Amino acid sequence: MAGVITPAQPVSIVVNGVSKAFGPVQALVDIHLTVRAGEFLSLIGPSGCGKTTLLKTIAGLVPADAGRIMVGDRNVTGPGRECSVVFQDFALLPWTTVQKNVEFGLLPRGVPAAERAELARRFIGKVGLGGFEEAYPAQLSGGMQQRVGLARALAVSPQVLLMDEPFASIDEQTRRLFQDDLLSLWSEERKTVVLVTHSMEEAIYLSDRVVVLSPRPGRMHQIIDIPLPRPREAGDVRATAQFAQLVDGLWKILKVLQ
Amino acid sequence: MILGLRAGSFVAFLLLWEWAARVPISFNFPTPWATFTALIDLIQSGAILGATLTSLQSLLLGFGSAVIAGVPLGLVMGVVRPIGRVGRVYLDLLIALPTAALIPLVILSFGINIISSAVIVFVFGAPFVTLNAYGGVRDVRPRLLEMARSFDVSWRQLFVHVVLPGAMPMVLAGIRYGLSRAFVGLIVAELLLSPFGLGRLIMMSRSMFEHDRMFAVVVWTLLLASTALAALARMEVRLLRWRA
Repeated sequence: MAGVITPAQPVSIVVNGVSKAFGPVQALVDIHLTVRAGEFLSLIGPSGCGKTTLLKTIAGLVPADAGRIMVGDRNVTGPGRECSVVFQDFALLPWTTVQKNVEFGLLPRGVPAAERAELARRFIGKVGLGGFEEAYPAQLSGGMQQRVGLARALAVSPQVLLMDEPFASIDEQTRRLFQDDLLSLWSEERKTVVLVTHSMEEAIYLSDRVVVLSPRPGRMHQIIDIPLPRPREAGDVRATAQFAQLVDGLWKILKVLQ
Repeated sequence: MILGLRAGSFVAFLLLWEWAARVPISFNFPTPWATFTALIDLIQSGAILGATLTSLQSLLLGFGSAVIAGVPLGLVMGVVRPIGRVGRVYLDLLIALPTAALIPLVILSFGINIISSAVIVFVFGAPFVTLNAYGGVRDVRPRLLEMARSFDVSWRQLFVHVVLPGAMPMVLAGIRYGLSRAFVGLIVAELLLSPFGLGRLIMMSRSMFEHDRMFAVVVWTLLLASTALAALARMEVRLLRWRA
């Protein structure tokens, strides 16, 4: 395998005093947050709390007005190669196949065509879509399309995976299976994950820590540790009393913020 | 069902035409049958084929250049915002312009020849081709641009893999619409320039009061245009299969 794509150690993310306004609307105010290397962290909060903005600022897609973000030892000034983003609406290229969609992220990394195809096939298989390489996005269900989005993000071997409400447009049963698959993929390829969600169960089920943001303007409200044992995808974590208590605790925090 | 409706509407149209010719609306108004026999006659004599070949030359020349110039120009306008903002004003003017009024100017500049009618075809078709290519680029989903940016793709990769295919549906629709305008431009040019092609055949038949022949040429032109447009539409469906 060429040196361009090497499985990399996860890195930490340090958000230091980040603020962001869109015109007169203050989206984020003085955010301080450290995501540990290899941690699974969720951002949750009422709609309009700026959680997606924070994610995009980390991704380098939205410039911060003030403050600094470090991903590993890179000062974020724009999109960087150690991060991959998974989008809520999948953001697949509708005019091309699953295979080419997954290869897309490898284009700017100078991976030779044969290796690109091979890597894409491997990750399509990993997300459970083997056999659908030549399908077009429109022929797939929402859940399958998001699996393509995940394969595309993972194929570039990022150190950081940034997910913007990836399961929001997917029905409940599909979502649960997908969450379990995400967890087992994550245990195979340890990455730092930041996930934006509005689902309390999802945040608790997946994360090591959950960050609650307060709305308009978005500020850090509270950070909750999720001490549920891993691996969670194999057992019945959702049915435990501890899980219920965590969800209830989170709900009590969020209720006040609504 | 659709086929039946289409056939039905065609028969209704012929009946209406027949009725209009019998009333008559004008003594010069030919019946469908007279038009049809005149068309057969024109085909057999070879007159209409020669005229068609001449006309197609100016159409290909004029519309070909409209596509070759218009599509890239529109794409550039879409990608480079300032050029788009400025160019858009001229395109809107060109579209609002009564293009036929330009014909004397074109004749004065280029003389009475095939180039002149090609220029007129160009002026009729190009603004729509350009404007649609421009709109196509502006229409590319911002989310796809954001996604591409997140993977840090190069300018060239962004254009080839995202912008161009994203603009393609509107580019193709613009080419199709531009072609229908080009046919109108072609006949207008030839009617006013006289010595060429199908337009001349229409003028000649009119001046000799052979209105069935005149109508036959008009119907023939319609057939040509709709065949070309249908071919383009089929090509579009094939190229844009992913939209299914």
